[in-house]
Amino acid sequence: MTATRTTPDAGSRSAIEWKLYVNMLTTRLFEEALVRWEHQGKISAQTFPSKGQEAIAIGCCLALERGDAVIPSFRTRGAMVAMGITIVEQLREFIHSPLAAGDSRDAPHHASWPERGVMPGSTMIGGHLAMAAGLALAMQLERKGEISLAFFGDGTLGSGDLHETMHIAGMSRLPLILVCENNGWEMATSWQKVRKTQSLIPYAEPFGFATRSIDGNDALEVYSAARWARATASDGQPVFLDCMTFRAGLYSSHFGEVRGGVEKDLAAWEKRDPLKKMTEWLIGHGLASAEDLERVSQQEEQRIEDTLREVLAETASATKELG
Amino acid sequence: MSTMSYRDAVAKALQDSMRDEPRLIIIGQNLAGHALKPLVETYGEDRVQDCSISESAMVGMAVGAAMKGWKVVVMIAYADIASVCHMAIAQSAAKLPYLTNGRLDCPVIIRLPIARFRGHGPEGNEVGVSWFYNVPDLNIAMPGSANEAYWNFREALQHPTPTLFFEDRSIHTRSGEITEDSPGGKAQITRSGDRLTIIAAGRTAALAEDAADEMAKHGDGHAVEVVSLGFIKPLDKETILKSASKTGRVLIVQDEPPWSGYAPYVRCLLDELPAGSLAAPPRIIAGADQYLPFWDERPFLPSLEGVAATAVEMMR
Repeated sequence: MTATRTTPDAGSRSAIEWKLYVNMLTTRLFEEALVRWEHQGKISAQTFPSKGQEAIAIGCCLALERGDAVIPSFRTRGAMVAMGITIVEQLREFIHSPLAAGDSRDAPHHASWPERGVMPGSTMIGGHLAMAAGLALAMQLERKGEISLAFFGDGTLGSGDLHETMHIAGMSRLPLILVCENNGWEMATSWQKVRKTQSLIPYAEPFGFATRSIDGNDALEVYSAARWARATASDGQPVFLDCMTFRAGLYSSHFGEVRGGVEKDLAAWEKRDPLKKMTEWLIGHGLASAEDLERVSQQEEQRIEDTLREVLAETASATKELG
Repeated sequence: MSTMSYRDAVAKALQDSMRDEPRLIIIGQNLAGHALKPLVETYGEDRVQDCSISESAMVGMAVGAAMKGWKVVVMIAYADIASVCHMAIAQSAAKLPYLTNGRLDCPVIIRLPIARFRGHGPEGNEVGVSWFYNVPDLNIAMPGSANEAYWNFREALQHPTPTLFFEDRSIHTRSGEITEDSPGGKAQITRSGDRLTIIAAGRTAALAEDAADEMAKHGDGHAVEVVSLGFIKPLDKETILKSASKTGRVLIVQDEPPWSGYAPYVRCLLDELPAGSLAAPPRIIAGADQYLPFWDERPFLPSLEGVAATAVEMMR
């Protein structure tokens, strides 16, 4: 690879750096489109954008292997994207297409594709962590080296199920990875008002978890920590990854921004935007030019718009056939 | 076919299920050291998992294991503790098949022994069925005999949705015959009669049988029919309506207060009978709408004398 190359070749596109970039780009643009479409009245489901936090879900899920299972939180659409669930498949759930695998029963942020390792989450904050531990228990009994991973926000520290899960998983040495998207806010309440330290590691360590605090906005750091976590958990040592980040987007498409006085934080974290960081890395390492990436981004945006049209058309025709 | 106590029937159901289902595990507290020592010796600690006092997570974990195709029995020490894991039961376990559009099953039994008459006090003598009766897809078993205890348990593990297994410790020593074949989730006519049907479950089914036997001794033989529900959800509507049509009088007995539970539900079901099918208005005998003091719970619960007196009055 030379610094003068302007178009990513097949080899570089299979590189993990390229995959991290593309998955983050898709997630960012898809979520922006979901909010836009909702406001335009084209879809009617609430979206919890992961803007600024995409590296966590994507870095972790790209580190998983066949047979592993993940339970997303409500702000990890990137997990579905990185687990290979196409935009078409996700959109079918949003619009209650007759082709929706889950029949649009679960909220779109909890939609699942169990046969592909994306398991249903829970709207009960923390409830899904015990389920992730149960998956890990089954994996421990099956002895195939598979692992279970669950995402959650730092506000989950208040949930009893997090503590119960850590208590059991630590003692039973379950192949479990708990990934905290630590953005310092639980909706409109900052962490200082609800706990002693921003890091959750002091809470996880005594339960018997191997822990790492990482920059959740650095996709490469997340990926490499997740690879370590996967190997560690597969060896029977549960892992807690505390991913420090900041929510750069809305709380949700319904609630909008609910935090007060975060303008300075937003400006500071904008400089650490994970997608921007990955873009700079690819350009800096000669895997792509700024123009390439701009073109890729525009094409992706168009593809996402086209996909909605296709899924709406497909739904109309499938409904007619069923009709 | 063999005769055994209700307690032994539950134990045998657990043993036979472990033998027949290689992907069945049990999660609970004090299993290896106390409650299930022999099962641990046979199947090892992999399949009989001792857990900390974390009932909510135990049920959540059962759901997670079910996602990987395992069946799980969660051993809760007594029924009141269902309140601790209500979220995991009503949100995680019961909803799994629905939320996944049937792509994942949840063949999980949550064993909830009812622990009245043992001095546990108001936080240890509740039934708690009504807390869950309106949760869709949740099966609720309330066996009233050894046979129901055995077969309700075995059948529950064949359901794609979870089952609350309310085993009543107050009838643990009551013996009965275990049939060769499963009643297939149907209610059982445990006493046959033609003038009054008593519909009940768990301890109250045993109470109804005793009342029928007492009345037979006093010359009312073959008057009282007893329908022991076993599964109170799903409910065997057919057997209930058939017996009600036959006798024309229905008395429903339940241990919980009458606000909710199978008693008011069955009472409503009777409205489906053609007008004039019943010779008398149906009656309910339920537990008092209050907590049960530790020193004596009986004054506030249906009694043999009360059931017999009401039955006699209804047949007058």
